[in-house]
Amino acid sequence: MMCSPARPWRAAMLGAALALAALAAGTRAVRAEYGDVVMNAYSTEAGMRPVVFPHWFHRVRFRCKVCHGDLGIKFQAGGNQINMLKIIDGQFCGACHDGGVAWSVESCNLCHSGKPGLPTQVHESTIQKLTAPGQKQAGSAARK
Amino acid sequence: MRTTSLTTKLLSLAALGVMAGPLQAQEGRQVYEQKCAVCHAAGLAGAPRPGNAADWGPRLRAGKASLYRNAIQGTMRGMPPKGGNPDLPEAAVRAAVDFMTATVAAASKPAARPEVARKPAAQTAPAASTAPVRQAVPPAAAPVAAPAIAAPEAAAVAAPAPVQVASASLALARPEPGSGAAAANAFNRLLRPPGKRNLPPAEDGIHDPAVDGTLQLQPPLAAFGAMPRSNAGNRVDWVKALAEGKIAPRWERDKADAAAVVMDLNIVREVKGSMPDVVYPHKQHTEWLDCSNCHPAIFVPQKGANQMSMAAILLGQGCGACHGRVAFPVSECRLCHSKKKDGVAAGSAAPQAEAHR
Repeated sequence: MMCSPARPWRAAMLGAALALAALAAGTRAVRAEYGDVVMNAYSTEAGMRPVVFPHWFHRVRFRCKVCHGDLGIKFQAGGNQINMLKIIDGQFCGACHDGGVAWSVESCNLCHSGKPGLPTQVHESTIQKLTAPGQKQAGSAARK
Repeated sequence: MRTTSLTTKLLSLAALGVMAGPLQAQEGRQVYEQKCAVCHAAGLAGAPRPGNAADWGPRLRAGKASLYRNAIQGTMRGMPPKGGNPDLPEAAVRAAVDFMTATVAAASKPAARPEVARKPAAQTAPAASTAPVRQAVPPAAAPVAAPAIAAPEAAAVAAPAPVQVASASLALARPEPGSGAAAANAFNRLLRPPGKRNLPPAEDGIHDPAVDGTLQLQPPLAAFGAMPRSNAGNRVDWVKALAEGKIAPRWERDKADAAAVVMDLNIVREVKGSMPDVVYPHKQHTEWLDCSNCHPAIFVPQKGANQMSMAAILLGQGCGACHGRVAFPVSECRLCHSKKKDGVAAGSAAPQAEAHR
């Protein structure tokens, strides 16, 4: 009584089921790129969206050493106390984001594009995956 | 696929017992629950859902005869002949169709079309004895059917209507097999399905799609297209991409042609336990980093002076400062643990490029 091999409706059913599953899984999960850093040391309290720093985008264009050596940015999300004053002064992001190497501080929303209120953390990091949901601010607690 | 076939098989066997007896009106509900609900309860592939007037409206207007014919012969839109159960008697299929259309009438138009609501009343008369049991089911399970219960005069006019509603809620409350299996398979939160990797900023869950800036940012795949792939992290083999010249990241902030100061020295770390020893290649690291990035803050530049464990690395210390945050994650054991205990180096100077599967 069962399956004759070619049954288009079965493929259709499977496709529909997969689409439903993908929809269900996709609506609740964060699917950030590996190494995306959300920075929210001051943004939310200043009434701005948090900053999303895409590691991959910068890695295509610069060696790690440029930012983490020459510019003195520490290997710690939330550990650098970056604010707009320093950036305008040419420190940290401001070394490139000055309208010369990269876009200037006038393009607020290109950096401050995170969902409102997101805590400082490195997305898709091992620490993030090891930490239970709801304790994800643990990484930013190390900031000092 | 296999699950569907197995389910169908089991249900068909179960249904044989039902077939033996004379056809009753209650059979429609049984056939529905055992066969049709697999698709129709959740509306898979566009299947009309019981109790949903929007799904059934156009079909009902075509007439019962058309519905029977489509259910028995199948349609191009996805309905298999007899729902994929060729052994099912045509009368049973018709009974199931009657059951489903009756739930629509009972759920959506109890007051406006009492004559339709009374039709299932005649059919379900033999099932009346079981009515109290079914009415005990919490109606909250069937939000679609709830309005019918909320209309007291409708229930009074067509007394058996709550029976239909309650039994429909039974069917709808049952976990739908397709979604159940999908949910179980989707649980592994560390394993991202292929369609969910390297999403554009507007879909990645951390960018605010309502901001104009988000839409101007480069999507990852626009950059990763020509780069060699890997199995973890960004799904890009960064070391290989650099070695093959697929990317040309600057060594100096404002000089495009400054060359990296590369040091080619492998450090072998013997590890406890059964894992292969670690070969640490300075070369691949100095392509990206300056000596001062790691020495002396993270690693004392002296052989044997640095205690390390995977636990510490997982927590972000030592190698974990980068590996697990931006460099390939610790799930890629063999990229570091690449030297067999017997002394044969598996991955010599280029562990990531060579040890890659």
